[in-house]
Amino acid sequence: MSITQNSYRFGAVLTVAGGLAGAAIALYAYLTPLTGINGSAGALLVIVSSLLVAGAGLIIALIASRFGRNVLRVLTGLGILGTALAAGFLHQPMLILAMVVAAIGLILDCMRPARRASLMEGALL
Amino acid sequence: MIRFTLLLTSALVAGVAAQAQTERTAPLVPETATWDGFHGQLNAQKYSPLSQITADDVDQLEKVWEVHTGDLSDGTGDLAATVWSATPVFANDTLYIGTPFYRILALDPATGEEKWSFDTKSTLEPLTQPAIKNRGVAYWEADEPIEGEACQKIVYLGTMDARLFAVDADTGEPCADFGEDGVFDTNHYNTVNARFPTSLLQPPTVVGNHVVLGWAGSDWDWAEAPPGAVFSLDPQSGELQWTFETLPEDIRQQTGTANVWTAMSADEGAGLVYLPIASPSPNYWGGNRTEDIPYATSTTALDLETGEVVWSRQWVHHDIWDYDINSAPTLMDITVDGEEIPALIQATKQGFLFVVNRLTGEDVWPIEERPVPGGDGTIEGEVYAETQPFPTKPAPLLDQSHKPDVWWIADAVSLGGCSKLWDDLWYEGMYTPPTLNGSGVFTYPDSSGGVQWGGVAFDPESQTAIVNFSHIVQYIQLYTREDYEQQTEGATNGEGGFHPQTGAPYGMSLKTALNWAGMPCWEPPYGEIAAIDMGTGDIKWRRPIGSSQRYGFYMPESMGSPTIGGPAVTAGGVIFIGATMDAKVRAYDEATGEELWEDIVEAPAVSIPAVYEHEGRQYVAFVAGGNTILKDQVGDQIAVYALPE
Repeated sequence: MSITQNSYRFGAVLTVAGGLAGAAIALYAYLTPLTGINGSAGALLVIVSSLLVAGAGLIIALIASRFGRNVLRVLTGLGILGTALAAGFLHQPMLILAMVVAAIGLILDCMRPARRASLMEGALL
Repeated sequence: MIRFTLLLTSALVAGVAAQAQTERTAPLVPETATWDGFHGQLNAQKYSPLSQITADDVDQLEKVWEVHTGDLSDGTGDLAATVWSATPVFANDTLYIGTPFYRILALDPATGEEKWSFDTKSTLEPLTQPAIKNRGVAYWEADEPIEGEACQKIVYLGTMDARLFAVDADTGEPCADFGEDGVFDTNHYNTVNARFPTSLLQPPTVVGNHVVLGWAGSDWDWAEAPPGAVFSLDPQSGELQWTFETLPEDIRQQTGTANVWTAMSADEGAGLVYLPIASPSPNYWGGNRTEDIPYATSTTALDLETGEVVWSRQWVHHDIWDYDINSAPTLMDITVDGEEIPALIQATKQGFLFVVNRLTGEDVWPIEERPVPGGDGTIEGEVYAETQPFPTKPAPLLDQSHKPDVWWIADAVSLGGCSKLWDDLWYEGMYTPPTLNGSGVFTYPDSSGGVQWGGVAFDPESQTAIVNFSHIVQYIQLYTREDYEQQTEGATNGEGGFHPQTGAPYGMSLKTALNWAGMPCWEPPYGEIAAIDMGTGDIKWRRPIGSSQRYGFYMPESMGSPTIGGPAVTAGGVIFIGATMDAKVRAYDEATGEELWEDIVEAPAVSIPAVYEHEGRQYVAFVAGGNTILKDQVGDQIAVYALPE
């Protein structure tokens, strides 16, 4: 596998990593006293949304359909934005940071040329 | 006629009170740092002369110890939720505190280590309240203690089932000589309209050798209820010294309450105890009590030795809004236009600050009787007050003269639902009477205030009063008995904001003006804190306090938070306060209102902080207990802060 292919995959990996990190941060905040949001519905919401971001990042890396991939990119972008916004209202700066990482990954993935993406899909699938 | 008699009485006693002042034996402001009562001191100033922690170093505060009492319930199990609003009491080199499970804890003030605990084993049924509540303990010690004898220092704790326990402050053993085996049972005196026990949730006010005791009842449920009474007890024997009845004898059977459920204050030197008296029952209809009830919704000064009324000022005539006087008046010596005045300031749910001479009840700044709206003719038997008292200074903390504005974001989220509600509600100022029409009337400020039971703090050095207050919009609707039964079929009492006012021709509902998402329909701010120059009556500064929080999401701090609990102020120029929804405790600069420090605690600290000194170190103690009025978050934490050693 070429360096170029690795950098393309890196974007999706970063999105997945950002989503998983976000879920872990949110879970910690949900379970730990004195985080300000322990036990709250808002914390549960961002646990779920972070996991969805991670899952979507994984599917983007694997999906064959260009159309489907683009739709998922838009939805993932909205998910990242919404989660970051929620994190702001939940006073969770680390969760915002995790979403920034996920967003950078998504941007890198969006920069992946369609033909290259297909080749990589072949390698992955 | 009764009002004339009151004025005459005031005039007669003014001379006596003035004489008492000249013979003052106890200074209004203690000469040493004390925090041995609910409001810190009997004057309710919540002021500490300690200055180790200042505006310059308060940001270095660190939590030096915390204790979790274990006495909490979130209401999801068999027990109702706990509401814990106790001020820790520092006395006898010990920190004493009562818990919502009606236990007394005696803690080492430097470490939080338990010295002893006492369990009243009282019922945990919320007999008169929607929650299991406690506001702490009271403390007394003998002027000349007898060595070797027990109960020369006593801690008192009241219970939901209306019993007052007296316990030796050194050992935690019951004081057997007090009442019956260490218990004074107010149920013995609950003989008229005894619909519920007269719960002792607020610790008594201990003044010299008097334990002055009010009680709390069940709001909104009964037209005929136990009539308000205040007892003075001997601190060691529990023997009844005097009883003050708040309602005229001939109408006690047909109405009730007008009780004192919150803390009192006292000027021991003048021999006066000040009663903040609640409204009569039922809360939102007065057709059963159209007679003059001069002590209802008033501040009333009693002679400490006899229980006789020295003066009384009624702040709401014929109260049909549940505008109980909910906080102890704060006593202060102020200088206005070059004249030194022994004053008190009475904060109210309406956001008013009435300032009067505490010896005579006379105005410091003019208090005017102004016309208020009458009813719309839908309510049977009601007779409305034509005027209500309005202070001219300080200015009202909230603008109660017109409908609060709709918050456009909440309105947009509800697709115009907030605006529609606003159009359906009647409001001609805060004294708009309840009605059967439309969706009812706004109650703004609402029945939880305005200013809550934390009341006003006062720095006697800078002559500055500090007060926190909420902007909450609710609406009240009355229902004919038939409509009420239809509306509440299958529902439990209180569900959906409905309450029966049994015995009245009307049931009622009281709801907060929220949209479907739980967002406030009215414009922020939702809570503020202000400083007032008591020499001029002018506001020095005001600012939003805290953040509102729902489902974990914080609103911007510029919107503030509703508050329950009060501030403490110190000679270091620092205001300490919890009180907000976001479960944070904060310090503000008294001079500017700038926020200097904050920390997060287990639940909203709906209590008054305690400031004390032990072995040369200044501590600030917060109780984080939560209150379901703010949000469903309970705690059992005592968090104590100090500067690093």
